[in-house]
Amino acid sequence: MATEVRTQTAGNMWKVLVKPGDAVKAGETLFVMEVMKMEVAHEAPADGAVTAVHVAEGAEGLDADQLVVEIG
Amino acid sequence: MIEVLKPGLETSVQDFPGRIGYWNQGFPPSGPMDSWSFRLANILVGNAPGAAGLEAQYIGPTLRFQRDTVIALTGADMGAKLDHAPVPLWRSVAVRAGQVLTMGAAKIGTRGYLAVAGGIATEPWLGSRSTFHQAGVGGMDGSALKIGHVIPVAAGAGIAGREVKHSARPPIRTDRRWDVEVCAGPNDDWIDAAGQARFLSADWKLSAKSNRTGFRLDGPEWTFAEKATNKPPEHGSLPSNIIDHGYPLGAINLAGQTPIILVNDGPSMGGFINPYTVPSAVFWKLGQSKPGEIYNFRQISVEDAQTMVRQRKAVCSEASIL
Amino acid sequence: MTYDEPRYMPGGDRYMLIEFGNEMNLELNFLAQGLAGAIAAQRVTGVVETAPCFASLLVHYEPEDISFADLKAELARLIASLGPSDDIELPSRLFYFPTVYCDPWTRAAIEDYTAKINPEKEYDPAFVARLNGLSGPEQLVRVHSGTEYWVAALGFWPGLPFMMALDPRCVITAPKYNPPRTWTPQGTVGMGGASTAIYPVATPGGYQIFARIPVPIWDPKQRFREFKDSICLFRPGDRVKFVPVSVAEFEDVERQVADGSYEYNVVGYQKFSVAHYKSWVASLDRNKRF
Repeated sequence: MATEVRTQTAGNMWKVLVKPGDAVKAGETLFVMEVMKMEVAHEAPADGAVTAVHVAEGAEGLDADQLVVEIG
Repeated sequence: MIEVLKPGLETSVQDFPGRIGYWNQGFPPSGPMDSWSFRLANILVGNAPGAAGLEAQYIGPTLRFQRDTVIALTGADMGAKLDHAPVPLWRSVAVRAGQVLTMGAAKIGTRGYLAVAGGIATEPWLGSRSTFHQAGVGGMDGSALKIGHVIPVAAGAGIAGREVKHSARPPIRTDRRWDVEVCAGPNDDWIDAAGQARFLSADWKLSAKSNRTGFRLDGPEWTFAEKATNKPPEHGSLPSNIIDHGYPLGAINLAGQTPIILVNDGPSMGGFINPYTVPSAVFWKLGQSKPGEIYNFRQISVEDAQTMVRQRKAVCSEASIL
Repeated sequence: MTYDEPRYMPGGDRYMLIEFGNEMNLELNFLAQGLAGAIAAQRVTGVVETAPCFASLLVHYEPEDISFADLKAELARLIASLGPSDDIELPSRLFYFPTVYCDPWTRAAIEDYTAKINPEKEYDPAFVARLNGLSGPEQLVRVHSGTEYWVAALGFWPGLPFMMALDPRCVITAPKYNPPRTWTPQGTVGMGGASTAIYPVATPGGYQIFARIPVPIWDPKQRFREFKDSICLFRPGDRVKFVPVSVAEFEDVERQVADGSYEYNVVGYQKFSVAHYKSWVASLDRNKRF
């Protein structure tokens, strides 16, 4: 069953560190958002393989709770 | 009285109008960015409009209340829950000792305000409870909320079930655009006519490198009047350089080619010009906008900006309670 | 140049910026501070606070009590009633600070910048000496420390003083770092343009740096009686004298500051007279250097 990793806040997509096919471990940083000159790191909640990445690095004006990475 | 279980992205104690009278030592007023929402939260719980409360930014905190009280949430919708039950905004709500308030990510707007009956009772510093955390003063020992903080609250008996009229609430836009009123000056005469027209007609995008110190905007180039290039050398080498001068709160400060709106925790002086100033009654729009959203600026007179403040003060009163 | 008439510009709904001229000279700052003092003494209706800067004064007013136009008229009347700037006299405290020039801590900050950001950066004391036609860092120390400094403004960071040399024989200038440093030791003394500043805390910065003081100018815990009314030591109109000392003396003072026994050296009985200052300046040969 796919795990969804969503944006924790509105903001911009500063870094996307994974692509489809990558194996990830629980706790590994998948992407980092930027808001208020702060970095908000988003980690994988579980081990798995990235099946989809929906937002590109540099994307601006994201909302909170937006789907970014799917892990299968 | 209020135990901090999760701090949120950057949550702090603020009061209104903030720390006044220390500009000549370099202290900004701090205080809430959206004082419209802030004051109404206080009125809902029976506090004076300027009493100390919490400002949550983007991601709100999780708080446990140690005694019975009445609270109100206004401003951004952060999906707040009290022991898993949704809490409505713009209403005073009864809280029982031991209950936990969970505030999440802001979905509409960006800054949420929490008022508690009696008001937050941290030690005032230079006349205000507002936090200026870069200098470590005010609020909870000079910092934003941390896990384990216990926020003191004065005694106060609020009344639950009060509600702000819909017409009295700030209209937070959801279409990613804001019309932002500005007053010309102090240094609008440093920009040429084409540059002034460009500023007032362009789309200006809010950068994610924006916080309570300054709101950075991305947009077209500025072009300058003669006085910006024909000036004594001690002004500095860039057209937007000027001999260091005092910065009005809300000044659109032109650092090179980058406009940065100086907001509640911003610097009090520096060596860049301020062609336009966002008046105080418009700060709530800045306070509720998100990176990537567009500002379109519209020039108004100083008198009209002052009228807005007067009208807002009338709205931030008991007259707005149903 | 000093403007014939000051310029009054609005800053949004509640600020007024008054410009007295468009150059860095002490006279313009005396005008700004003189007006600030007169506004406070007269308790002008509707004025909340003022903040003087080099050649200007920012006024924060309450629009419910006075309009921009009425405030402008009131201040123009007040300025006219003050008479010539030569008549200005301001209470002015004088602070003596033990200072290590060409110190190891600013050297470390400069070396860090050279290693990480700009390898071309010349060592600041040598650079500033060379740009000002001085024989080297030793003469820089004699010249920089040879004058009292006038606190023209505070700001950018709370309590950060922007100071101007009072003795024209000691005026030097320095360009700013480009790009700026990411850190500066607390207590660093540096120069940008014609102004000298002291860094109250460790912040990024762009001034040329060449000295350090062990004495706090910023005290959030208000441990010393000089901070009883604020956590910032200075007010506009204070003066500073940097007294060259050794690293050993610096460290001794640091110990006294740490244990709370340090006694600030403040001369608190003087009034600064613009007229006397100007006649003293006129008596000097401005082309001489120490």
